[in-house]
Amino acid sequence: MLGKLALAGIKNRRRDYLVLLAGLTMSAAIFYMFANLATNRAFLKANAVINQASLIFGFGAVLLILITIVYIMYANSFLLSMRQHDYGLFMMLGATRKRIGELVFLETLILGAIATAIGIVLGLLMSQFLVGLLLDMLGLHLAHLSAFYLPAIIATAVLYVGLFILASLFNMVRLTRTTVLKLLHTDEQANQPKIHPFRQMVAAVLGVAFLGIGYWALAAIKTLQVAAIPLALVTITIGTYLLFRATLLVIIQGLRRTKWAKRHLNGFLLGQLNFRVYNYTRMLTIVSLLFAMALGAITVGSGYHRQLPLMANSIGTYTVAIHDKNTQEQALIDQLNVKHQATYTQKRQGKVVYYNAAELQQQPFELSKSAQLAKSLKHPKFYTESLTKFKKSGVQNFDFQSLAVRKDMGFYTPKILSAKQFAKQSGTTMTVTTVRVKDLVQDQKVLKRLNRMEVKRFALPEQITVGNYQSYEMMSGIFGGLEFMGYFLGIAFLAMLASCLMFKILSGAPGDKQRYRMLYKIGVRQSLMRRGIAKEIGILFLIPGIMGVIDVLFGLQMFKPIMASPMSPYLGIGSIFAIFIGLYAIYYAITLTLYWRIVLPKAPTN
Amino acid sequence: MTTNTVVNVHNLEKTYGKANERQYKALKGLDFTVEAGEFVGIMGASGSGKTTLLNMLSTLDVPTKGDVVVNGHDVTKMRGNQLADFRAQEVGFIFQDFNLLESLTAEENIGLPLALKGTPSRVMDQAIHEVAETLSIADLLQKYPSELSGGQKQRVAAARAIVHRPSILMGDEPTGALDSTSARELLDLLTTINQKQHMSVLLVTHDPFSASFCQRILFIKDGQIGSEIKRGEQDRSAFYQQILNELGTFNE
Repeated sequence: MLGKLALAGIKNRRRDYLVLLAGLTMSAAIFYMFANLATNRAFLKANAVINQASLIFGFGAVLLILITIVYIMYANSFLLSMRQHDYGLFMMLGATRKRIGELVFLETLILGAIATAIGIVLGLLMSQFLVGLLLDMLGLHLAHLSAFYLPAIIATAVLYVGLFILASLFNMVRLTRTTVLKLLHTDEQANQPKIHPFRQMVAAVLGVAFLGIGYWALAAIKTLQVAAIPLALVTITIGTYLLFRATLLVIIQGLRRTKWAKRHLNGFLLGQLNFRVYNYTRMLTIVSLLFAMALGAITVGSGYHRQLPLMANSIGTYTVAIHDKNTQEQALIDQLNVKHQATYTQKRQGKVVYYNAAELQQQPFELSKSAQLAKSLKHPKFYTESLTKFKKSGVQNFDFQSLAVRKDMGFYTPKILSAKQFAKQSGTTMTVTTVRVKDLVQDQKVLKRLNRMEVKRFALPEQITVGNYQSYEMMSGIFGGLEFMGYFLGIAFLAMLASCLMFKILSGAPGDKQRYRMLYKIGVRQSLMRRGIAKEIGILFLIPGIMGVIDVLFGLQMFKPIMASPMSPYLGIGSIFAIFIGLYAIYYAITLTLYWRIVLPKAPTN
Repeated sequence: MTTNTVVNVHNLEKTYGKANERQYKALKGLDFTVEAGEFVGIMGASGSGKTTLLNMLSTLDVPTKGDVVVNGHDVTKMRGNQLADFRAQEVGFIFQDFNLLESLTAEENIGLPLALKGTPSRVMDQAIHEVAETLSIADLLQKYPSELSGGQKQRVAAARAIVHRPSILMGDEPTGALDSTSARELLDLLTTINQKQHMSVLLVTHDPFSASFCQRILFIKDGQIGSEIKRGEQDRSAFYQQILNELGTFNE
């Protein structure tokens, strides 16, 4: 009977439950996708070209687990806040605590199990499509990635069901220990925090100091090595917490004394924030950190994505070099946006490759200023030298030497002969055509085909061709894992942190319901209440957002050693920030809509 | 309808439940008026329709049939923002459970109706302090509701109800949650407000003692006005006896 009643209670709030279930499902799905990547040995082996990748995957896994725990904690408190009144009522009607405890335990566990099961299935599907799509868009090649991976399924199931068992036990203890009256009247007593000027000052100073240490640690990652990350995590967390504690209250209470506070609902808004911000300090701190991590991960990922072609473009003077081009290759070359093209005849003999001076006179070989000298990564400077000059220095040029690669991976020594001597010189004769395109990414598809043909025709022991495109492919292989991790973790973190914030805010909604009912009674317009709520929740979203952006701006220092000049972690971060903030805003809109629906009093009808 | 009438209720009916379901008639055609400056009580047992009536008057609920005119506004024809503005400007409320916002200080609570109107802050401060003097809560202004006793809370609520000078003050069992001393103080204050500021007061109660502060009492039974008594020139304790007698026969 009691079970039926409990079920009826759930039915009445099925929309809220759907939100909760959807959030938990998404979280499980994301975790599965990550576990699939992180635990898939074959995939890791094939892609972890640099040893940092496995470290980063491990680090990512720990972070994701931590976030999952926090997330389930907040989702659980939302669940509890929805249910405690019902259970209080059942107890008042004479249900035993034991029975209620069982019900709560079962309800939480069933909800969790359903969410985990759907989440894993969803994760499978998402791995199949989304990962494929993301990789395709990024043009990465991640070998050995299959959607279905049993160990990942087990890991997800064990973690989630384990956490839900803990949550269920927590709920059971919590509900059976609370008195019936408290359950029935859960309207949270808004405790009014007091300001202690001296303590606030000390907290503010300490907070800034801790933040300073944290930011410094990130910048000094070269000297501190791996210790920098835990040090920064701890100090930035403490610093943010203290700073929030010290400043937010002072600002709010300062605002309360102004004339602005005496207009419309502003005073009410500040009053709400006053006790909210205090209760939420811990949560806001966590969210600001998660925000920073998510944004940082995406920024770094996209940094690699945008900067690899730039980097590749500025490495050498030609994009591809085709030996003995055939008509098919010529057709492909014609499809490219060619900036510069030249064809030279080579005669290879012994360890020497001979060039015809007349050809080099006619089509001088392009050289480039090194990236540092050119100053701008986006515009590498190309120039040519007179033949006499080139004869002396140019033959030492790496790009020029690369046009003839020996089987043992060394270079033939280039020698430039006059046209007459060249004609007499014996040796294997072949031509080489160098092509520089305007934009490597734009012509990526054609270049890929060209490159493949070249490899097929001239398969040296190690499949090697020369040119910027080849470097780009190689770097994509190396950094692709990092880039993918960046995007993936960023999106996963964002989804979870915003849901944490959402559930924390939503679990305060039942308490607010009464306040808005009072406002309704004393004649506050609906539109005014809507705007007031939008401001209040907006500020709660804004505080960790701002702090998170600041954290990222400092935290990107950490990637300077990995993204060595001419790359920079700060290059072109504006658009990524904009996209990220857009996604964050969507979460705000969802939270706001749900809040309105829970809190706003409905107008009477006949 | 003369301009001296603050509340004019005509043939008011309220039916709960949809047409095809089982219906319950809470009010079955009420007629009464409240003159400007009157102190009127509405009495009746639980379930007699007192609170339903007050909800109609204060636009928190919509009548099924009939007219309610408050200070010249026909509230049954109002919609949306008009209703909210009407409550904010024309009516002052005192509820049994105070309905103070615990996140605001007493001063901010009292100032809320003025803030909603967009009153300049200097005018607001003056109005708050005036009403605080009247209700002797000047020294409580900076406190939060959780720091106040029940009686003090209700005086703050009363201050909030009259600070914007509404045309009528409505109380729904305002003494219901108070001890007898606090209740008496509050009723004395309401009488003072009624007499000094000529504010009409409509008090819904089932407590004869509270009702004895009124000038006129309407008894509601099963959704209709059963009888009406007036205090006239009697003193309060005599009127109290009259109410008790009336209740004794009324409920038979």
